[in-house]
Amino acid sequence: MTLVKRFLAELVGTALLVFFGAGSAVITLMIARNAARPNEFNIGIGALGGIGDWLGIGMAFALIIAAVIYSLGRVSGAHINPAVTIALWATKRFPASDVGPYIMAQLTGATIGSALFLICVGSDAAFVGGMGATAPFPGISYGQAILAEAIGTFVLMLVIMGIAVDERAPPGFAGLVIGLTVGGIIVTIGNITGSSLNPARTFGPYVVDSMYGINLWQFFPIYVIGPIAGAVGAALLYDYLAGE
Amino acid sequence: MKCYICAEQGRDREAVAICIVCGMGVCMEHLVRKDVELWRGDYPFPARKLKKAIPRILCVICNEAYEEG
Repeated sequence: MTLVKRFLAELVGTALLVFFGAGSAVITLMIARNAARPNEFNIGIGALGGIGDWLGIGMAFALIIAAVIYSLGRVSGAHINPAVTIALWATKRFPASDVGPYIMAQLTGATIGSALFLICVGSDAAFVGGMGATAPFPGISYGQAILAEAIGTFVLMLVIMGIAVDERAPPGFAGLVIGLTVGGIIVTIGNITGSSLNPARTFGPYVVDSMYGINLWQFFPIYVIGPIAGAVGAALLYDYLAGE
Repeated sequence: MKCYICAEQGRDREAVAICIVCGMGVCMEHLVRKDVELWRGDYPFPARKLKKAIPRILCVICNEAYEEG
């Protein structure tokens, strides 16, 4: 496959991830717009359905990730996440020359996905739903947020290594297992950091929010440092554990 | 081994290959040899076409079935 085709596949895949994944968080917030919130830890997601709200968002992510992996996995590898691309590069499984173009495609795709969602829903997607952007929840410190993102992405990358990268893995299960893993992680970490696990997934909504005067960029390093540290750590650990 | 299709037609001709699908011995007239492209790679690695294709021999009957899809 040419780099142009792979670039487009990463762009489309990440756009779909943000449209449906982050979009599901926007819809949840819009549905709960005037609902009573039982405490300040509850920002609206969970106001109506409790932890079920996070399960719903997790399932939206799970299904779109599975769909993208099964449809575009053979074209670009369907990383749709700079942390995954960097972890594969760090373990010498991905060429350094392709890392930059892949990350550019993922960031551009995430922005396009978020913008398309805004066009479909209107400005309330930003003013009420914040475009599904991720930020630490009330009472969560910067350091705690980085740690939570690192742990979540560690689990994601460990599963990618075991179910997809390892040649001994059973074929055909990668999309389903990885999608459901992300869904499960979101149920727990969602109400801590938003459970991004992916710098691009945070970048797209931040760009669109910025156009409406919502500035969350001070939190962006959380979603770069945490996911990359977690993913690289998991890939290195897996190689050590699974090697002879 | 004799060519099965020739034998059915009342001819006696030596087989030069075996169909990979039905196992029939076939002569040069009744075989189809094709190079099949091979792709390797799946999530999270892009698929790439291998430099060398894999040769495949079918009898004309199995080849027709494959062509029909």
